[in-house]
This record gives sequence, structure tokens and C-alpha cells, in this order.
Amino acid sequence: MNPGLKLLLTILIALEISFTTNLVVNLVLIGASLIYLLAKKIKWLSLLKLILVPFIPAFGLLVSQLFYGHGGPIYAWILFSRIYAYVFIGATFTITSDITELALTLEQNFHLPAKFAYGVLAAFNLIPKIQAEIKIIKTAGMMRGVPLHFWSPKLYFKAILAAISWSQNLAEAMTSHGFVEGQARTFYQPMSLTLKDWLSFGSILVLVQLLIIFAPTLP
Amino acid sequence: MNNRQRWSLRNIILIALIAIFCGVIFWGAGFLYTGLTVMLTPLGMAPFANDILMGLWCLAGPLTGYLIRIPGSAFLGEFLGSAVEVFLGGQWGASAFISGIVQGFGSELGFTMTGYKRYNWGTLLLSCLTTTIVTYLWDWFRSGYNQYGLLMNLGLFATRFISTFVFGGVLTKLIANLLDRSQVMDN
Repeated sequence: MNPGLKLLLTILIALEISFTTNLVVNLVLIGASLIYLLAKKIKWLSLLKLILVPFIPAFGLLVSQLFYGHGGPIYAWILFSRIYAYVFIGATFTITSDITELALTLEQNFHLPAKFAYGVLAAFNLIPKIQAEIKIIKTAGMMRGVPLHFWSPKLYFKAILAAISWSQNLAEAMTSHGFVEGQARTFYQPMSLTLKDWLSFGSILVLVQLLIIFAPTLP
Repeated sequence: MNNRQRWSLRNIILIALIAIFCGVIFWGAGFLYTGLTVMLTPLGMAPFANDILMGLWCLAGPLTGYLIRIPGSAFLGEFLGSAVEVFLGGQWGASAFISGIVQGFGSELGFTMTGYKRYNWGTLLLSCLTTTIVTYLWDWFRSGYNQYGLLMNLGLFATRFISTFVFGGVLTKLIANLLDRSQVMDN
């Protein structure tokens, strides 16, 4: 499916289950996402991470509801399974899409102005450099005996200094490569949004509605 | 502080970069959330771990909104800050996008209420307040806060507001002061 449409679908479903208190719905959505992920040949390590990482917050929420909530054990388990539903539904998007395709389709099919699509994409491609820069800033601080933590204004100050100079450089580099703000563009990699995409989007959405309406509620 | 108040390519990249820096920094503090949750779970107080750290997750919004004074910059910064999480590890998936939209809307609302004219302590306080209220409403449904008693809710709300104000308000102002003194945002 088209990545933009797929993102919209995962957000819509996640939004809906936030207001749905039905254990069966959550379990069916987790199961369906799991089958999809297995069909897309997800790596076992990634799958293991998907199961382990949310466990601590999900379990914390469960215990808290059992101790202090007025909703009863089923409600507590609904919240527990809801976190897993978010994670598995989210993974159906993240495992199968990449950010370049998302930016391209948002520009071409969803009428996002090109400066947003390419500007944000350019920044996201710097993530590894940003991670390295934070290490450099922290190490430089330590060499002068100044530890910089996530609550230190100086850490953010230095990070923003780097961001200011990089944003200037990137914008100039893009301009010198022929990027003009607000100009019509031709596409090197055209993205398609076909009738088939819309049909699968629509049918999955309808199926989820039927599930939410007709799923039995546990006592 | 910033004279070029428009959506130029440079400003968009700058907002995105600041958001990503914040995203990467609080990603590094993720162990704190896990540790706090593990400690608070036996007491049944795990939601407090979420609310104690709320301000850190919501830092990008007030920060970009305060530094780059264009309507919408707080929303974009906060949303992208959450999106980083999706692409760094992806464990929270679609839910992180929604949190980003909710938090972004919350912090933007504070700046909107001042008409994007005044930028001072009051503005930051307002933005932190709207962030707290909007994100709390969201957790009211999503995390089942509606099933807790009044006392627990008051405690969670106060914790969330203090956290948001410490990071989104005080820390943002301290960072802005450093930038003011160095005069880098003038040109």
C-alpha cells in the first residue's frame, strides 16, 4: 500500500482503539498485525523486541489499574493489550515503509509543500550525524570537567548552535542543487496512489469498524 | 529574536534539526523511564513515571515555538520530535505519531493564545499549561486515567504540570537566555 495512506490507516486505527474498551478488538488487531508482520518476513530479533520493549510500561499500567482503578481486571487487561496493539499496528507501518518514500508521497499525492517534504527529509537524513554530534558535545564537556546531562541548558545550547549552522548549510546546498521554494517540480521517482490503494485502505477500515461493532465484550 | 518570521526552507530545516536533537537526547534518557516504571510498578504507581518525564518528551514544542516565532512552529517541532522516536527504534509505532500530534497541539495552543506577539515567561507558562491539559485529556482516555480516584488524578496532573514547566518552561527559558547572550539568533 502507498506509505502515506498506510500511515493514515495506522493512525486512524490507533486513534479508534484509544476510545474502544474491548479486549477482543485489541487481541484480534494484535493477531492480524502479527500475521501481516510474519508474512512480510519480519526478523526474529525485531519481533522479540516488539514483544519485550512494551512489556514494562504495559505491565506497570496493568498493576496500577488493578491496585487503584475502578474498572476491574478486564479493564486493566484492555489497557495492557492496548499498548501491544499500538506497537504491533505501528510496526506494520515502520517495518514496511521508509522515510524517503513517505516524504515523496506526502509531496506528490498529499499536496504537502515541497519545502516541508524535502526540508524535513534533509534533517532526518542527518540523524546519525546528530547522534554523533551529541556524543562530541558531551565528550568535549567532560574533557573540561563539565558533565552535560539532559537537563543542562548548555547541552541544548550547543546542539542548537550546530542546528543553526547545519540548517543554513543544508538550505544553501539544496538551493545550489536547483531547489527553488514554491516552484513546480518534476519527479525523479514518481509515487503512485492507485485505486487499489484506496480500496485496500477502505476495506481494512470497514473491517475494523465491523470488528469494533460486533466483537463480543467480556464480562 | 528571529527576524525572518516565515516558513523558509532554512527555518523548516532548523525546526526539524532542533526537534531531532531533542528527540535523540530524550531517547538517551529512555533508561530513566524504564527504571522509574520498574521501581513504581510494585506500588501500582507506574503512571507517575510517565508523568514525571512528560516535560522531557514535550520539550521540543515550547523550545521551537519560543525560538522560531512562526505560527505552527511549536506544533511542527513537537510532532517531529515524536516522529524521530518512530524512526530511531519504532517500538511505539503509530502511537508516537498520535502523541506527537496531541502534544504539538497542546504546546501550540499556548502560543496561539498570546497571538504570537509576546514571548516571555507568561507565554511559556501558558504553553506548558495548555500542553498539560491537552495531554492529560488524551491520557484520560488512552491510559485509563478516568478509572482512578480524585486524589490519584490530582497527583498525576500536578506531577505532569510541574514536569512540563521544569523542562518546557524553565529549561527553554535558560536555553533561550544563552542564545540571546550569544546573539546567534539575530541574523
